[in-house]
Order: sequence, then C-alpha cells, then structure tokens
Amino acid sequence: MNFEPTISLDKIDDVPDSSPLVNRYSQICLKHDGDQLLLVLPTQAEINSDLPWSETWQELKHLLQTKEQSWQVGTKVCLIAKDRLLDARQLQTIAETLNEVKLSLETISTNRRQTAVAAATSGYSVQQTSLSEPLNPESSEIDSPSLVLAEPLYIQSTVRSGVEIRHPGTVVICGDLNPGGKAIAAGDIFVWGRLRGIAHAGAQGNRQCRIAALQMEFTQLRIADAVARPPKLRPRRLSPELAFVTIEGIRLVKTLDFAKTYIFSSSKEAWVDKNEAK
Amino acid sequence: MSRIIVVTSGKGGVGKTTTTSNLGAALAKQNRSVALIDADFGLRNLDLLLGLEERVVYTAIDVLAGECRLAQALVKDKRLKGLVLLPAAQNRNKESVQPEQMKKLANALAKGYDYIIIDCPAGIELGFRNAISAAEEALIVTTPEVAAVRDADRVIGLLEAEGVNKIGLIVNRVKPLMVEENKMMSVEDVLELLGVPLIGVVPDDEKVIVATNRGEPLVLGEYDSVPALAYSNIARRLEGEKVPFLDLMANQGNILSRLRRMFGG
Repeated sequence: MNFEPTISLDKIDDVPDSSPLVNRYSQICLKHDGDQLLLVLPTQAEINSDLPWSETWQELKHLLQTKEQSWQVGTKVCLIAKDRLLDARQLQTIAETLNEVKLSLETISTNRRQTAVAAATSGYSVQQTSLSEPLNPESSEIDSPSLVLAEPLYIQSTVRSGVEIRHPGTVVICGDLNPGGKAIAAGDIFVWGRLRGIAHAGAQGNRQCRIAALQMEFTQLRIADAVARPPKLRPRRLSPELAFVTIEGIRLVKTLDFAKTYIFSSSKEAWVDKNEAK
Repeated sequence: MSRIIVVTSGKGGVGKTTTTSNLGAALAKQNRSVALIDADFGLRNLDLLLGLEERVVYTAIDVLAGECRLAQALVKDKRLKGLVLLPAAQNRNKESVQPEQMKKLANALAKGYDYIIIDCPAGIELGFRNAISAAEEALIVTTPEVAAVRDADRVIGLLEAEGVNKIGLIVNRVKPLMVEENKMMSVEDVLELLGVPLIGVVPDDEKVIVATNRGEPLVLGEYDSVPALAYSNIARRLEGEKVPFLDLMANQGNILSRLRRMFGG
C-alpha cells in the first residue's frame, strides 16, 4: 500500500478509489506457473478492511467465468492464501467453484497456522511459509508496484455496471465496457467493443499508457494522474479511437493515425507530435 | 420438464409484479399449469394484482416453518384453471428466508407445474439472492430510462455470475410518441447496451393501471388492449413460438419518417 499522505478535510477523500493514483491491486488473480495454476488471494492488508467472504467468493466466480479458459481440464491449482484466514468450509467452497470450471485444488500455501491446519484436515497438501519471506517470486512481484507488469488480462465478456476489473498489467476486453463498469490497469487498456464506462490506464503512474476502443463513448478516462470527461457535444465517430496523454492533457485521435504521428517524450512525460519534436 | 423463471429488474417500480401476473395468466390461458411465487417478503403485492388477496390463508413462511403443507398454501385462481400463487408473508422481512429454502420451495413446485415464475423484489440484497437461487432462467424487466437500464445491466452481471445464462429482456412502458421525438431511449438503444435477447416490448398504457387496481390481469380483460397482446405474445415466445414484435411505431410520425424507418435509415 503506497498511499500518498494527504491532508484532507473531507472524509470522502479517504475513500481509496477517489485518488487517480491508486495502487490497489487487491483482486484475486489467476496465473500460470509451469503446468499448474496459481490462485493468488489478496493479503489482509491489501483488501484494506474486512471484506466479507461472500464478496471474495463472488469475485472468484466472476474471475473464473470471464477469464479466457486457457487451461487443460483437470489442471492442478495452488492456492496462495498468504495471511488470509480460511476455514475448512471456505476451502471447500473454493474447491467446488474451481471444480465447476474443471480445475482441481491441490496445494495451499499460507503463512497462517489456522489456515494450514484447516487445509491439512481437508486433505490438501500444505506449504506453510513464514510471514517475512516471500512466498515465491511471482507473488512478491505483485506486492511491490514494480515496473515489471503482470501478463495481460484477457476478458472475454462484457464488463457490466458494478463490475470493477483491476489488474497490474494490460487489460484487453473482448466486449463492451458498460456505463457503471470500471477497468483499472497498470498498463494499457484495449476495449474490443464500446467503451462507455470508466477506464484508467497506467494506474501506477505510467503516463505512456494508452486506452483504445472500437467506439469511445466513455463516462471518464484516466491515464496515470490525468482525467478526462467527454465533451458535451461529440460527433459520433465510427472509427476506432485511442486516448493518450499530451502536455495539455488527455487527447483522442483515430487509432490509425496515432503511431505515425506521435512519439513519447520521456523528458516531457507526454506524447508529442513527431513533426514538432524535430 | 418444468421451467423455473425469475422476473427481476434491480430497480423498483418498473413493472416486475405486473409482468409476473400477466405472464402467469397468459401462460395459464394457453393451457399451461403455472405457479407464481411472490419472493417480495414484507412488501407483497402479487396477490393484489391477481385479485387473490382475500383468499390468502397461509404463506411461504408457514410452509417453511412446517405449519402447513405446500398444497394448502397455494391460492388457486378461480378464473383460470392451472394458475396458482404461493404468497409471501407480509409480517416478515427478507432476512427470514434463506436461498436454500427458496430453492426447496421452487423445486417442490416444479414437480407439479409447467412454469414456476418467481417475482423478485427490487434491489440486489438477500431478497434478490433468495429469488434467483432456484431460477434456471431470468426475465429482465426494464423501462427505457437510464437508471432502470443501468440497474438492469448490473443485475444481468450478477445473474451471469450465478450461472443463470438464459436471460430474456422485456422493455416495459415504451412511449412511441416520445421515442419518435427523440425524448426517450428507443428499444434498440436499450438492447445495444444490455446485449441480451429481447423477448417483449410493452407499451405504456393507462389500462395497465386500471387493471392493476382492479386486481385483474390485463390478459383476462374483456377488451383487447395493446399491452395485453404484448404480454400474450411474450408468453407465446416463452413457449418457443416465433411471434413478430408489435410495431409500436406504426401510428407515429409522418409518411416520410415511416418510409425512413422502413428502409432502416
């Protein structure tokens, strides 16, 4: 958690999402590791409060359904529970949920004794780690907001109202991003459909990140610390557009024109016109 | 094979209960046996709309508490053979029922009826989760308003996460005149956003209010009205029939705009 210390009079400012520079990647994530899959739960600190278990479970179900099913039937899953307390019943729910998508829970890695006991009693193999040492290279990578981004997240469904996709890498949405829906990525965001909700690229402060959509009808675009609202009157354009940060703020151009016109200037921390840069 | 369908919307006041009562009546009219479950515990209305209020003796809560048999709690509609209602309790709230209990009730009814239609309460809390727990299919009711469509979108997302993937959309209270003047979202706008198959469009009509107050589903009315026809058509589509959608815009606009519509412009 790297919140900037802010002085605020207003309680609302404390809501973690209100800052454009949130480094909160507190979502469950699923990644390949050799021939097994790692299911990483956010740590107690990352979820920031006692998020009810039902929400975590909802999130897991949603993740499994929207994620591209890029695994073989019967792939083994290692649950990285970190410091989360899980009882036998919760472990069983996770196992059942994974079963529905033809995955089998095999190993549980935790640094809580109670979780380890519950897992062992239920017949899973347990890796108990101490609090200090990192669980494995992958999970420590998620903890620190490093410059190395996670592998892109590919979502194969429409992101509907109330759903928030958070990912420490690039997000590709094959569907629409509906109003009320949100995508927050440390990398770029590509929407292969209509972008009508809120998209936040470069959420860890990378101003080079871009947002592209087949049709831009967004509620709000954010790149790093820049925010853009749609203009009151916008011609309905039919060509795909791309949003990026210029010195004046976020700009939209036709995706086709972008690569040949703009270049990223690291000194100005913004994209500039190639012709003017010369 | 009976079908368990939940009628839901997220937002309140868009016409879930009206839809439930009319669909139930329309299906019963087509010689199907239909059980309606009112899942709106604490704010029950379905019995009023069906005109069955004074015949409610036991409620779903009584069945779950084992104070009566399921068959005793079912209120039979005198006008229509094959239509029954399982009323909700009015003196309790939504927390008094668990999703598993609702599932048990619906599955028990599924043994004796072709259709189980569950009237879902507004919101997405426990009452909603109770109502959808048993459902295999869902009908989303929305009106062409931004707030209603936004809530419908949220609910569709929740249903999909629960594994209810057979979803039909009913756009209720469409005012063709306002659509023509571009003052209201059109059915196409709603469809484009929600991306689920359309199963019915119901126009706004005063007769709906009259019928509701009388406790008589529109489809049972003596006079044919456009909304009644729309509801019958939805029932037929549920049965698998291919019924063309009513052209609500037919009487709107001048010759020029009609021609433009015909040519898809």
